Amino acid sequence: MSPVIQAIDVCKTFGEQRVSKNIHLSVPQGSIYGLLGPNGAGKTTLIRMLSTITQPDSGEILFNGEPLKEIHAQQMGYMPEERGLYKKMTVAEQLLFFAELRGLSNKDAKASVKHWLQRLEMMDWARKKVEEISKGMAQKVQFVSCVLHNPQLLILDEPFSGFDPVNADLIKDLIIELKNQGTSIIFSTHRMDNVESLCDRLAIIHQGEKVLDGGVSEIRRDHFTGIFEVGFNQMVDWDLSRNSLPAETLISMQNQSDGKVVYRFQTSDSFTPEQLLKLAMTKGNLVHFSENIPSIHEIFVNTVSKSAEPIAGATKAAEPFVMF
Amino acid sequence: MKNIFVIFKREYLTRVKNKTFIIMTFLAPLLMVGFYAATIYIATETGEDDRTKTVYVSDNNPELLLSHNPPANYVLLPAPSDSDSALAHVERGLVHAWLNVEDRDLRSVDSATYYTSETPSITEKETLKEWIRNKATQRQFARLGLREGQIDSLQSSCNLETKEVSSQGDVKESSSGLKSGIGFALAFMIYIFIFVYGSMVMRSAMEEKTNRIVEVIVSSVKPFDLMMGKILGVAAVGLTQFVAWIVLAVGLVFGISALFLNSGSGMTTKQAVQSGVEARTGMGGMGAGSGAAVSMGGEMSAQPGGMVHGASDMAAEFTEPLSNLPYFQILSVFLLFFVGGYLLYSSFFAAIGSAVNQESDVQQFMMPVTLPLVFGFVIAQTVALKAPHGAMAKLFSMIPLTSPIVMVVRAPFGVPLSELALSFGLLVLTFVLMVWLSSRIYRIGILSYGKKPTWKDLWKWLR
Repeated sequence: MSPVIQAIDVCKTFGEQRVSKNIHLSVPQGSIYGLLGPNGAGKTTLIRMLSTITQPDSGEILFNGEPLKEIHAQQMGYMPEERGLYKKMTVAEQLLFFAELRGLSNKDAKASVKHWLQRLEMMDWARKKVEEISKGMAQKVQFVSCVLHNPQLLILDEPFSGFDPVNADLIKDLIIELKNQGTSIIFSTHRMDNVESLCDRLAIIHQGEKVLDGGVSEIRRDHFTGIFEVGFNQMVDWDLSRNSLPAETLISMQNQSDGKVVYRFQTSDSFTPEQLLKLAMTKGNLVHFSENIPSIHEIFVNTVSKSAEPIAGATKAAEPFVMF
Repeated sequence: MKNIFVIFKREYLTRVKNKTFIIMTFLAPLLMVGFYAATIYIATETGEDDRTKTVYVSDNNPELLLSHNPPANYVLLPAPSDSDSALAHVERGLVHAWLNVEDRDLRSVDSATYYTSETPSITEKETLKEWIRNKATQRQFARLGLREGQIDSLQSSCNLETKEVSSQGDVKESSSGLKSGIGFALAFMIYIFIFVYGSMVMRSAMEEKTNRIVEVIVSSVKPFDLMMGKILGVAAVGLTQFVAWIVLAVGLVFGISALFLNSGSGMTTKQAVQSGVEARTGMGGMGAGSGAAVSMGGEMSAQPGGMVHGASDMAAEFTEPLSNLPYFQILSVFLLFFVGGYLLYSSFFAAIGSAVNQESDVQQFMMPVTLPLVFGFVIAQTVALKAPHGAMAKLFSMIPLTSPIVMVVRAPFGVPLSELALSFGLLVLTFVLMVWLSSRIYRIGILSYGKKPTWKDLWKWLR
């Protein structure tokens, strides 16, 4: 399927600082695309370029194959990391305003606002001013404000930051629902918890560069380490030297609270998983045998720490907000 | 274009529907009138020093008869013969002051000294000076053999009527006082409106920035459209308020003039006009602050009835010139220059609002923006009111930063159409240029969080 949005060799510099370095990425239609990276990696800058707020210094961005223009913003929904609502406006007025800004006619806007307020069971709150509703409620309003116009592409910058767990789950469900209706979604995050369950594809950005890109399952397969876990009901004497295995093959042993003992083995061509399983079966009460697939979190940490420069640090100060 | 309208609609509706706005629209004129009434009341009723002052007088010139007919609130005592004890009594507060007139020449009383323990006010000094001068004058008249009653009857009065000859050959009654009043009132309104609504634009831009709404908005609206929608929306709020006030004012004027026309006959109006002019000439002198006027003011307040009488005369005097004013020209000049001036200044205010992160950072940028506005107002009060067709008034009614205020003062006196067109053209050009410059600052300012911006930053954003 053709990509909904595509960045080709995109560069952006603020003063002396190169915030985006030759970024290529392509978001397939109807997919959920995760942009991962530590704070200050340049995710927000990239997202602002994708959502027409700023323009790249060089390179090109294509929306449905056409060069990205301001008019395309009408088909996008955007929830920035720095977000807020007009405190003195009512929920309904506010949503209506955002819907009209995104190009809906007054009539369509009203219908859409009603639909979403009903969908989230918030009709009773429609006439309340934003300053009178709870923070969680305001967060829902905030999310609704970017999807009212049924966008083709939804861009969410750190969508789960600041949301309480209940609302974060609700947003997660809504994201999946929108995806099933054909919406393409890009979201950035520096937390990995949600990535595996949500994303189809992801890219890791570090210090302005894309260091990894691909489908979530491919990435994990690529990062397959050959480590297997074998669990028993009691301690086992492996006696590795008798099977002419080097001592490093056994990476670790862990006594679990339920009395289980889990051993982690490094397999290789000379010591295949089949051989490990056969060996394990000779040791008695085998209860568990599994491939140790690295989590995205582990891949992320590995990738980022492997890249030449050290991590910029967890402070937001590294991210340049001033745009020249 | 559609987005400008969506922004405009929001800015306008949220403000006009606001309860404070509705209340203030009706209350502000009342507050304004109340404010001026209170100022006038305080100035006339309690502005005087009403303490009774005991003053030593050294009557070195017996011809002056200084101890007779003291000014109001003064008790005069003959001073002790030696000056040391007179000064000691003043210092100890036994008496308020010691007035020592050494001069014997009636034509110019040069060496008179007033010793006090506290610095006398200008009014006090002028009152005494006038009192001595009157005494000297009266003595001179007396030397010529005139009695006091004869002196008063010799004082002449004059009434100068002003009529305007228009190009059609009509001769109309005119009133420069009325025109000054109207011009000044309109200039004052523009001045206040630009401040009030300009800072409204600024706060609106700041609110969007500090509440982090702005990034959501600029993802679907160009920053320029956002700024223009905001400026125009607030302008519409101002115009709405203004129209509401005009309706209120016209209602009031019609109500009041209906009252006057019913109660006054032709003859009394004629007389009223005469005495009204006299009263007003006195008032004009008072404003200029000359010594004579202060004593005049003192005399007027000495007869409490006089003030009220004069005021009702003035109202009657204005009825005819009021109907001769070029209303259409005044109103259209006011509206054009109000809108032009507001647009020019509010684009500055919008840029400031977008640049700063909190209210307290505003101050450093406000100064250079408000300075020309205040300057224009000062020019309007002084030069333009005194000489509306003078070179200075003409110059500042051309410079776009001051023209919205100065031109409106000149408008009731009749400004040639060519001057109006040139001035307005310059204003529009400057406004377009400034909106463009401001939008460049705005575009970057709204997304810049963090450190307090400096003038250098703004300059960098401009380029």
